[in-house]
Amino acid sequence: MIGRSGGARDRILRRVGAATAARERRPHPGALAGDGPDDVVAAFADRFRRSGGEVVAAGMGWRGGELLRWLRDQVPEVTAVATAPDLPGELRPDLPEVAAREAGAGVSVGWGGVAETGSLILPSTGGRAVQLLPPLHIVWISADRIFARLEHALLSLAADLPAAAGLHSGPSKSADIGRTVVTGVHGPGRCVAFVRGALRSPAATE
Amino acid sequence: MRIEIGDYGARARQVIREDPQVREAVTGATLAFDAKRRRSYDEIDSDAWRRWAEAVKSHALTHLDRYLAEAEARLIENGAVVHWAADAGEARQIVMELAAENGVRRVVKGKSMVTEEIDLNPALEGAGIEIFETDLGEYILQLLDEPPSHILGPAIHRTLEQVRELFAERLETPPDGNPDTLARAARKVLRDAFLSAEMGITGGNFLVAETGTVALIENEGNIRLTTSLPRIHVAIVGIEKLLPRMSDLAGFLQLTSRAATGQPIGCFVSLIQGPAARPGDDGPKEVHVVLVDNGRTDVLAHEHAWEALRCVRCGACLNVCPVYRQTGGHAYGWVYSGPIGSVLDPGLLGLREAMPLPFASSLCGACFDACPVRIPIPELLLEWRREAQEEGLTPWRERAALTTLAQMATRPGLYRLAGRIGSRLGGSALGRALPMLGDWARERALPKPSERSFRELWREGIE
Repeated sequence: MIGRSGGARDRILRRVGAATAARERRPHPGALAGDGPDDVVAAFADRFRRSGGEVVAAGMGWRGGELLRWLRDQVPEVTAVATAPDLPGELRPDLPEVAAREAGAGVSVGWGGVAETGSLILPSTGGRAVQLLPPLHIVWISADRIFARLEHALLSLAADLPAAAGLHSGPSKSADIGRTVVTGVHGPGRCVAFVRGALRSPAATE
Repeated sequence: MRIEIGDYGARARQVIREDPQVREAVTGATLAFDAKRRRSYDEIDSDAWRRWAEAVKSHALTHLDRYLAEAEARLIENGAVVHWAADAGEARQIVMELAAENGVRRVVKGKSMVTEEIDLNPALEGAGIEIFETDLGEYILQLLDEPPSHILGPAIHRTLEQVRELFAERLETPPDGNPDTLARAARKVLRDAFLSAEMGITGGNFLVAETGTVALIENEGNIRLTTSLPRIHVAIVGIEKLLPRMSDLAGFLQLTSRAATGQPIGCFVSLIQGPAARPGDDGPKEVHVVLVDNGRTDVLAHEHAWEALRCVRCGACLNVCPVYRQTGGHAYGWVYSGPIGSVLDPGLLGLREAMPLPFASSLCGACFDACPVRIPIPELLLEWRREAQEEGLTPWRERAALTTLAQMATRPGLYRLAGRIGSRLGGSALGRALPMLGDWARERALPKPSERSFRELWREGIE
């Protein structure tokens, strides 16, 4: 809905109209040229790791049981998790479920990934608290949902946009104190992508 | 933020003489930012990207009425509420009314230059609302009651020792706490604030017309939390932030990140279309977008300065600027500092109010080479200087010098006489005697002038 504007809306649009009418209109240059990486899954893993993210090569057969084993092995102190409402039951680790603000780990499922930026795309329908509050964020992602370029991913996402989406490209970090990088400032200090499917796409290994 | 630009010279001198660690801290931080930016530009065809970005923004600005209307329509379809504010007062009023209607007692904020521009915090505090700046750098400054000094690293002028001292006093951290310990202490305070605030306030890096998407880039996750946990999200966005399409956003998210911090993309990007509507979404029930003019239509109407509206607030021009490095941002006396501030402030505030910023530059051109949207900052500085001269806003000494020069240049006899006096006076004395060169010559040895003038040499035939 249109909110408060008094007469501001019309005044502003009139002034903008007058300013642009007096100037030569510039054309849109079209899409930014570029190919993106060839081996999208390997490139995603490489970029995501370089930003401080972690990648686990989960075979297609991996389920909640494998995730539970990984959690016990890597972070035995995590005894309860928060999971995204759209997480398929089979990908849920068998641990007590608690509210996101109390959970040692949050488990979500990514809508997709982006190779050129090393990003996970997380729609708000997956529950934002799960993606943001626990110190460890685990994201299941299918290798075949990783796009080479951000442009392609966003255009595909735009076909059915959720109220909000987050792009997570590594853990939360800041260098605001003495120019020293610290992680886990506000969001998760560890972000782990569980990539289901081959980490190296068949085309690239041939 | 109060406008104190007129004191630029005095403030700059004061920082350099009385607070030498500012210069050290700012130079260290900006050199580090800039080195990362350069490496990151080298990874892409940065010339082609920058030309593309310039063209997209110029297109958007010359079709701004159309894209503003389109963005508004999409946001409304998405369930967001769109407000318009012609100036800072209207923008504050809108936020104040929203807060009052919803019984808001506590606000969490993401780093936003436009909220500094409209002086939002004092207004909210005046109404008894508790505000938490949640960007770590901004939080430090809130505790110090200081404005930001850099677009991207608002507290880069403060050293680790200073933050240590501040946190020990205010958050009871150990006096020798390392950055990790200090950040954890801040996180604890701010986490409680995120969980209890009724309203989250942010700016917006971009607004995509095609989808009504407010896009925000950051590294800490505080903006994701600010736009996700409170019941109401208010995004305050300058009208120049429009991008036509989602595909444009893909390029701008990357180029802005590379220019700002040298990353391929910020650790977190929020794409916000409207309030939570679908099952599973625990986000805000209300999303308000406040579109702010506050001088931007004046800039847009200016024959040359409109190009400064392409600015994506990455801070790259600050990081390369040899003048900014000496003082940091506070000396500039308003929200936007460094090269971009020196060309944007005269447009937003009026040239008289922004004097002498167009002169706070050596015109070295490094800012243009770094700018991801190729704003011709050196040319705009010259344009503002020309206008200042025309309007009689330049210092009297400079006006007198230029008038004298003009008179000499049109009277050959006078010119010859001045030349002879100059060559007798010799290097440093000549420098000190000339009204515009005095300060410059004090620190330098000028070359000795030739004993014979150019005219004499010409007459004799130059060999």
